[in-house]
Amino acid sequence: MSTASSSAATAPSETPPPAASRRRLPLGGWGLLPAAGGVILVAFPFASDDLFWQNMLILSMLFAIGAVGLNIISGWGGYISLGQSAFVGVGAYTVALGALKIGGNPFVWVPVAGVVAGLLALLMGLIAMRTRGHSFVILTIGFLFLLQLIAINWDELTNGTQGLSLPIPMWDIAYQYWPFYYAMLGVLCLSLVTAWRIRRTKFGTGLIAMREDEDKASTVGVNTPVYKMLGFVASGVFLGMAGGVYAYYLAFIDPRGMFDIVISVQIILCMLLGGRGTLWGPVLGAFLVEPLNELANQQMGGGNSRLLIFGGLMALVVLFLPKGILPTLKERLTARRQRGQAGLVGARLDGPLVIGERTAPAETTVAPGEALLEVKGLMKHFGGVKAVDGASFVVPQGSITALIGPNGSGKTTAFNLIDGTMTPSGGEVWFDGRRIDDLPPYRRAHLGLARTFQITRLFREMTVVENVVAPLRSFSWGQLNTSAMRGDEAARAEELLTFVGMERFRDQKAAELSYGQQKLVELAQVLMLDPKLILLDEPAGGINPTLVARMGEMIRTLQRQGTTFLIVEHNMPFVLGLCDPVLVLARGACICEGTPGEVQKDERVLDAYLGDDFVLERSAEVAR
Amino acid sequence: MTELLQTIILGLLVGGVYALLAAGLTLIFGVMNVINVAHGAFLILAAFVTWTLWDATGLDPLASVLVTTPLMFGFGWLLYNATIRPIRKAPPSSSVLLTFSLALVIEGVLGLVWGNTSHAVRTSYFDQSFAFGDIFLPKAQVYGCVLAVGVLLALWAFLTKTWTGRAIRASAVNPQGAELVGVNVAAVAAMTFAVGVAVCGAGGSIVSVLYPFLPGSHYVWISRLLGIIVLGGMGSLPGAVVGALLIGVGETMTTTYVGPEWATAVPYVVIFAVLLMRPQGLLGARLREDVAL
Repeated sequence: MSTASSSAATAPSETPPPAASRRRLPLGGWGLLPAAGGVILVAFPFASDDLFWQNMLILSMLFAIGAVGLNIISGWGGYISLGQSAFVGVGAYTVALGALKIGGNPFVWVPVAGVVAGLLALLMGLIAMRTRGHSFVILTIGFLFLLQLIAINWDELTNGTQGLSLPIPMWDIAYQYWPFYYAMLGVLCLSLVTAWRIRRTKFGTGLIAMREDEDKASTVGVNTPVYKMLGFVASGVFLGMAGGVYAYYLAFIDPRGMFDIVISVQIILCMLLGGRGTLWGPVLGAFLVEPLNELANQQMGGGNSRLLIFGGLMALVVLFLPKGILPTLKERLTARRQRGQAGLVGARLDGPLVIGERTAPAETTVAPGEALLEVKGLMKHFGGVKAVDGASFVVPQGSITALIGPNGSGKTTAFNLIDGTMTPSGGEVWFDGRRIDDLPPYRRAHLGLARTFQITRLFREMTVVENVVAPLRSFSWGQLNTSAMRGDEAARAEELLTFVGMERFRDQKAAELSYGQQKLVELAQVLMLDPKLILLDEPAGGINPTLVARMGEMIRTLQRQGTTFLIVEHNMPFVLGLCDPVLVLARGACICEGTPGEVQKDERVLDAYLGDDFVLERSAEVAR
Repeated sequence: MTELLQTIILGLLVGGVYALLAAGLTLIFGVMNVINVAHGAFLILAAFVTWTLWDATGLDPLASVLVTTPLMFGFGWLLYNATIRPIRKAPPSSSVLLTFSLALVIEGVLGLVWGNTSHAVRTSYFDQSFAFGDIFLPKAQVYGCVLAVGVLLALWAFLTKTWTGRAIRASAVNPQGAELVGVNVAAVAAMTFAVGVAVCGAGGSIVSVLYPFLPGSHYVWISRLLGIIVLGGMGSLPGAVVGALLIGVGETMTTTYVGPEWATAVPYVVIFAVLLMRPQGLLGARLREDVAL
């Protein structure tokens, strides 16, 4: 499952600059290039009265607006949309119908076009909230074609395939396309500032976390459905406005030209070619793709050659330049700069085991020793397979409880049901005095329930410290607009990384860490939630003995400070030395509970682990 | 009453052809987790090949299934190895974009070769009907549906009775497991893609008799087929058949009672409704996803 859900992950993320420069637009060094480009764009109409170039720049900006928006939901959020040109169409028809049926200058209707596009995206987002991967793509295709069909069939409003003519511009002909040009430039600036801002807020990091691993993001408290929906809205608003300007510029619109899926493809191509997941890549891509569009339309007769060029180019980019121009260049540069330097990767965790101090978790409503987590008759059936079949158990507040059992006894599935990654077929889960089995994973995380995974699931393209600050303890609309890493959060992340001994790795990419190191970072990550209960899935699995001992010490320290643990583990010395009580799961149900000593002697447990014929085999051995 | 009955029967006949077309799409998705957005373009390509055969030799379009099926099998196999195989391990969005670009390229080539005008194959039985009392069923629809069901049954037999077919189904259910028991999953993927495209080729020949087509028709077709497999449950072959029949009837009902111009809206509305209410589709299996963890 991790491969499927994190599979949208290969797009590189743009690492935010260090704290000092985070509040400024990135204009130093290489950042001068976009600044210079901006100056040229502003000054161009004064320098040249060539309409051919003005036209090309207007259309380039249209594509750039589309690609910058698409990058929000695709480059960062990981969801590809083939329906973006629907926003062009909706914006265009809003401006045309507004100006024709109600009146006023078409430019007045451009902001309205943005609002209408945004509302439509919101509506789509409400459906898309529940979809994943492929379903989302299919949905966006259906969305585009349905709107096109409505524009074709709703004759009274849209004049069908005959199209609509917009009012003729009233300004002096000496101003050429200037008003269109600067309107488009204004929308482009708005969209860039918005995208830049999003990347630096919780909204942006939440989107990237969603791209890297959507289920995981949900378990650390990211409200993924809302993030997905708003990401889609953000991708559509400015394109709707640009579509409005475009309509006025063209002076004539029809359904097939406006709701044109080839425009969607060109927008995707701009983003892919320039570099998905970067701020400027989509802009660069747009200024490369649009001249090609002119070439196809003017020199090669449009139509079929346009299809061949853009279909062919997209295939080539997907196959041979999947990361796009900017990230590929950046990779080359970084590789050259780092040549000959030894990385921290693979560095050993040496030195004494110093475990730092940390603040205690939030107060629970449950007194020590009472049930913090209670599972009643929990069931999960996959077709005929009963992975969890009526399991009931209690995790006392303040304890380190173990959940053991033979392979396939349903331990990990039980975890998935408790943290909400899966919906149970039956039964109840109570946590801290309230029933939680109908809550989504992020709500459970907000209540103080945290969980690590058997095979670590960090956000691979994020740095260690970004991983640790990714969890969210609550959800509010205002939160979306707060800084991605506030000062106090950075300090807290440092503290937690020091606690697990990983502070030296704070700026490494998570994907570059060893497996054991990832386990430690994942622990620090969930501690960011200040959890009351942590579910640890095989914390000692696949790591070396020194690290196992260290992990045990950390768990004890945290428990002394008030955190409760439920641990699934196969390393019996580790479990029996650390945990009390021990729960034994077999065939999906809890068969035994007690102190480590009691459980070790229990006949039912021996039976479950070694099978019914254990006694027979042993007696056979004795006889021999 | 007669009108309703006629509408439903026509819908089922149309749905039979849709089922054949959607079968390949859902099979490819089930085995490879790839949505072949070029499926509609393959279908139109096969229709144009059928048109040319008929135009040049007078070959009956339904008989040309014998030509288009192997032809499209080879085409699918080559295309898979040249383009899709290299990105097998890439994120799903890559395969969607790649197959979509293939669709655009095919549309462009069709436009260059045959022109962007509407084509139709007019056979001798084109405007004849079978009459059952008050119900009239166009002969082309009946023959097309019978042939589609025949090919579908052959596909089913292939998947259940042959070793290769069982390997395909095994790979769909559990790729790691199939690999462990000696199935070369990579080769099976190529085979599946080719089989899916071949079946689509047979469907294209049938479609050429039933509907006029032009290079740009593939968008309507792929939307319809996506609606069918979303409704039936992505990756489920019986689901594709059920979905196809429902969408077929839905379209003919819309044509009769709402207006022909809204018939193409049916698949889109179905996509929205299904994803909103039952994202796994009618017969979509809720398999356990955590075994790989």
